[in-house]
Amino acid sequence: MFSTELVVQTVISGVMIGVLYALMALGITFIYSIMRMINWAMGEFYMIGSYLQYALVALLLGPDLWWLAIPISAAGVFAFGLVVQWSLLKPIFRKPPEARDDYATVVTLALLLLLRSLATGLAGPNQFSPGSNLPVVMVGPMPLAGARVAAFVFALGALALFYCLLRYSWYGLALRATSQSRIGVQTAGIDVQGVDRIAFGVGVALAGLAGALLAPVFLVYPTNGLITTVKGFEIVVIGGLGSIPGALIAGVLLGLIESLGAAFIDSAYQNIYGFALVLLILVLRPTGLFGERGREA
Amino acid sequence: MGISLGFLLAGTMVAGVLACGLPAQAQDVGIGLVVPLSPPGDPVGGQLIRRGAELGIETVNAAGGVLGGRKLKLYVEDSQGKPEAGVAAYRRLVSENKVAVVPGFFHSSVAIAANEVANEMGVPTMALQASAADITAKHYEVAFRTHVVDPVRVSAFMEFIKQKGFKRVSMIAETTDYGIGIADETIAQAKKAGGIEIQKVPFDRTVTDLTPQLLQIKAFKPDLVINIGVGQPLDLIIDQATTIGLLPNTPMLISYDAPVRPQYWKLHPQNGAGLYFIAYFSPKAPLSDIGTAFSKAYVEKYKEDPVYGALNGFGAIEIIAQAINAAKSTDPKALIKTLETGTFKSWPSNPVTFPRASGVYWHNWSAPVLILHYTKPMEDWKEAEVAVQYAPVAPKD
Repeated sequence: MFSTELVVQTVISGVMIGVLYALMALGITFIYSIMRMINWAMGEFYMIGSYLQYALVALLLGPDLWWLAIPISAAGVFAFGLVVQWSLLKPIFRKPPEARDDYATVVTLALLLLLRSLATGLAGPNQFSPGSNLPVVMVGPMPLAGARVAAFVFALGALALFYCLLRYSWYGLALRATSQSRIGVQTAGIDVQGVDRIAFGVGVALAGLAGALLAPVFLVYPTNGLITTVKGFEIVVIGGLGSIPGALIAGVLLGLIESLGAAFIDSAYQNIYGFALVLLILVLRPTGLFGERGREA
Repeated sequence: MGISLGFLLAGTMVAGVLACGLPAQAQDVGIGLVVPLSPPGDPVGGQLIRRGAELGIETVNAAGGVLGGRKLKLYVEDSQGKPEAGVAAYRRLVSENKVAVVPGFFHSSVAIAANEVANEMGVPTMALQASAADITAKHYEVAFRTHVVDPVRVSAFMEFIKQKGFKRVSMIAETTDYGIGIADETIAQAKKAGGIEIQKVPFDRTVTDLTPQLLQIKAFKPDLVINIGVGQPLDLIIDQATTIGLLPNTPMLISYDAPVRPQYWKLHPQNGAGLYFIAYFSPKAPLSDIGTAFSKAYVEKYKEDPVYGALNGFGAIEIIAQAINAAKSTDPKALIKTLETGTFKSWPSNPVTFPRASGVYWHNWSAPVLILHYTKPMEDWKEAEVAVQYAPVAPKD
């Protein structure tokens, strides 16, 4: 049962899914770093990305132009994110600092329920698949759906692009400065609310991108973002809140642990292995693998 | 003046609240329906039952209602395929809507959980597409079912395995009462039959990447894979098994009738061919007169043929209406007595009864079980090849 081929196949499967989980986690951790709030409706932005991908491929562009639908879907989610930030989240910063977390939690949870209900109301509870005409690809001994390989490559590209923009552009510098001190950057003349808007848009666009990439692999339905969001939060805890390398490494680690646990320990408890890792990290290193202890006044 | 206006407003609000809270018009007879209408349940399965039940209500009311002119009113609740949501729905229907009977129940876990509460509250349930043994094996007075039970479904599996001469069988089963119930029953019947090696690979139904489980199955090199997922996992298993090359090289048997739904070919236009699946209704079998009329009305309304879920939803309402008339009451105890002793007309040509039979056959009626086979892509399920036809025989009490 423990053949080398099975082990290698399981490892490849775990790494592939881990990178895609990381994309989701990156969105969560990025929004938190800048805005200091948790977006509980992250899975619903993933869901919107998957519906946009389905609508574009099935109704407008056709399966051959699936690759064009992906950035359009992510851009659509980005634009929607800007609207949500401007209309629902901007008022957070008019509240006293101690009330901001409560406000953000209530608003994003309400948004979660609203968007999920809207999806059910507009598209029905059925599952959809945008389909894919990409052939099966052999990665070592592991046959993988072309759509899954494409999702993996796109996700790695998006992560690299995101890292470069954050590291080497002026706006990236502003974002990083805002994550260190919201008051400090205002003294340097940076429009923090503008930064918030872009950060929220980019964060949810990452979730939308994950949704669009995974639409042909994991299907499209109103609650399809739920499990990916849970994984995203697990990764944030494992990798450390606010850490981009942490999100990537923790994503791969989570994917590997789940795959290997399901294949070689007990397949019924696939979700439990990730939670066990979260608990272990919380006990041994509460700030996560790459997280830093926050400074408190 | 201010006080009067205040009183007027308050009075209006109280009246409004009371009006909203009223279960139905006094002469209406409330019927509850608990079905999954959103994930993680199987919303398509729930929707089909709902369509049938709604048409059943229309049919009964158009024919004059029950008890000399009282109309039936359907209250629909979404179980989401979750036991806790199903229990809350049952409680709401009984306490607030004062319904006489609660049919529905697509997911076994939901039916089992709701029956525990029903056993205390006394209003009967009727499981229309939930097959776990415990639903009727506990012999609760309130628990009725018009669906195939696990041992019968598995007997059909075994008949198929025997017919094809399979020796190594893998099961990928969700960790629910339905999935584990069927998997364990298959292991028991295979052991009894002898000569069959069985692999059981359980999975949590919230998991979307089932590749690790399917890789284990592929490594086992089975002659047959039994797909015991419900709703979205069932479809993910088909797609992911195709990717890793398990399908179409190894035959797959789907544990229920999801492939008869129009959605099946939309999700699996190519890799849906070659699969075997359980069905509970053959279009070649004759329908009763009310079943034929329902089928016609359904085609007119939905522009597609009714499948088993819709037929059973309709049948349940017809059975309940006949039971209310025969009992001359909506009192739960009188209804239970009538259901146990009466003979009812539903969608099939043969009559429906709910005897106090032994074991899982308690209060249970089910249609014959079929195993159908899609031999080509986009095949109409009515043209699918019948691989096995298995008629359950309930033991005498």
